[in-house]
Amino acid sequence: MATMTMASDAAEPVTRFDALFAQFYPELFGLVYRILGDRMETEDTLQEAFLKLADEPDLQARPDTEVAAWLRRVGMNLAFNRIRSARRARARLERVGRLERTDNEAAERDLSGPSDVVVRSEERAAVRRALAEVPERQRECLLLRHSGYSYVEIAATLGIAIGSVGVLLARAEHAFRAHYGRLEEER
Amino acid sequence: MNTTPQTCPDVGTWRAWLDHEIDLPDEAQHLDACPGCQRLVDELRSDATFARAGLASLSPLEVPSAAEISVARERVHWRHAATRKRSATEPLGRPRLEPTPMFFTRFSTPWRVAAGGIAAALALALVVAFTPEGSAAAAGFLAQFRSQQVQAIEVTPQSQADIARVLKSLGNLGTIQEPSIAQSTNPAVVARSEAAQSKTVTAAEATQTVGFTLLTPDPSSLPAGVAKEPSVRVSPASQLKFTFDKKKAQAYYQSTGHPEVSLPDKFDGASLTVSIPSAALLTYGGGQGSRTELVVAEANELVVDTQGNVSLPEMRDFLLTLPGLPPAIVSQLKQIQNWNDTLPIPVPVDQVNWQQVPINGSQGLLLNDNSGVGSAAVWHANGHLFGVAGTLKASDLQKVANTLAVR
Repeated sequence: MATMTMASDAAEPVTRFDALFAQFYPELFGLVYRILGDRMETEDTLQEAFLKLADEPDLQARPDTEVAAWLRRVGMNLAFNRIRSARRARARLERVGRLERTDNEAAERDLSGPSDVVVRSEERAAVRRALAEVPERQRECLLLRHSGYSYVEIAATLGIAIGSVGVLLARAEHAFRAHYGRLEEER
Repeated sequence: MNTTPQTCPDVGTWRAWLDHEIDLPDEAQHLDACPGCQRLVDELRSDATFARAGLASLSPLEVPSAAEISVARERVHWRHAATRKRSATEPLGRPRLEPTPMFFTRFSTPWRVAAGGIAAALALALVVAFTPEGSAAAAGFLAQFRSQQVQAIEVTPQSQADIARVLKSLGNLGTIQEPSIAQSTNPAVVARSEAAQSKTVTAAEATQTVGFTLLTPDPSSLPAGVAKEPSVRVSPASQLKFTFDKKKAQAYYQSTGHPEVSLPDKFDGASLTVSIPSAALLTYGGGQGSRTELVVAEANELVVDTQGNVSLPEMRDFLLTLPGLPPAIVSQLKQIQNWNDTLPIPVPVDQVNWQQVPINGSQGLLLNDNSGVGSAAVWHANGHLFGVAGTLKASDLQKVANTLAVR
């Protein structure tokens, strides 16, 4: 049985958890970072995801592909939950008269000056705004695909048939482009 | 017009084909003959290219290093074990690895910045150091902040993010002038760049740069496995000036839908100057295979002053009313008695335990990473700011810190 904290039979279980960690942490970092855009937030989110995995000895014993799909799903859910709580906190602040923009990157967008940092930040903020408008399922598909995952991996993560990935992705990309264009026009 | 038979592949199939996820030899021929599918595929390709370019901008600039992954894994092990200890009595079966320098990874930015000029205080000084305590005491010589002691300010991930946002929004109310980064209005960018300027030198050169003889720990107090001689880096002193600009602030407030808000007239042209001291960073590295490390940082005091028609207490009052600053932080700052010489040190309480203790003859802060993989001490003495951090138990680290002396 795979678990990370067993007193008697420690070597194999530890190896399994650590191997999973080493194998999937870097790619999950890329995926979750794309959602959160903040290194520390990403680290915290992944810590939560792997803590959940540590509590699932049976899951750890499953094939790598299944564990990876589970980690991606949990990582994305935790990341989106973080964003949602941040939004709720912001909404509360705005109700009491907050003036500035609502997140780090949006705030950066307001900074003047020719710095490349600011330009990149504006691009990221625009992409995030458009992404936020894309329906959740499509958005997850979009993020997964453009983080480099195959259709098989996307299907396993989202729990859908592999034959459905193409159409979901096509809709997601179309919606993303449409929202991006509309939001830029409105600015 | 659709001249093709009903065998046109659907959107999802064409999208998968574009990604080479499926082979469609027949459909490739179909595509040559079907204008409708050609249009569809062109649209799909165009949307995909657009999305790829957009999402590429979200990718991290750096992937975690092997060391960072290792530290992250250790944190999970530790937290998992701690959770189990709380919920049951099952012992941690797995021996923990040697601790890793959490303060240089988990809190990389604040600590590295601190090491590169104690400029972590920069961010604090802009918002935090000007607590409204005693704003009536606006006597000329008091209108200056000069760090002489330290005090912990408990922060959470949320309040840290809020403070960062407030700092960034501050850039909309004026301009920051700093020799090496003229144009930037983002305090965080300026601070990071400061840290990046540090360079490796000899101990004698470091002494010359910082202007005082460096204190070093008693070699016999150093943990086993670290070098007895440190590598030394210094960062030069620098100054950052923030000048309020009423017009710019007005434009910002208008653009954010708050034309009714304006910067008080007397703030127009008033400036705040933060003098970041030169600093030395002594690293006692671990040998090959060792993950033990100890770092000593030493700097002069941090000084903040104002120019123009606004006194420091007034500036402090104004900064603390900036929208978005967490009330819990403001409240802690208000409780600082000697605000004009107390440097607040943000302590992320979700990650770090802290206590106020005597360190090397002065009152300081002893910080202990909750995951048990690192600790740090910060204190002010004789006009100098000191920090020690390492992969030691807090009590052991305090012993090392207590031996700091001119040798």
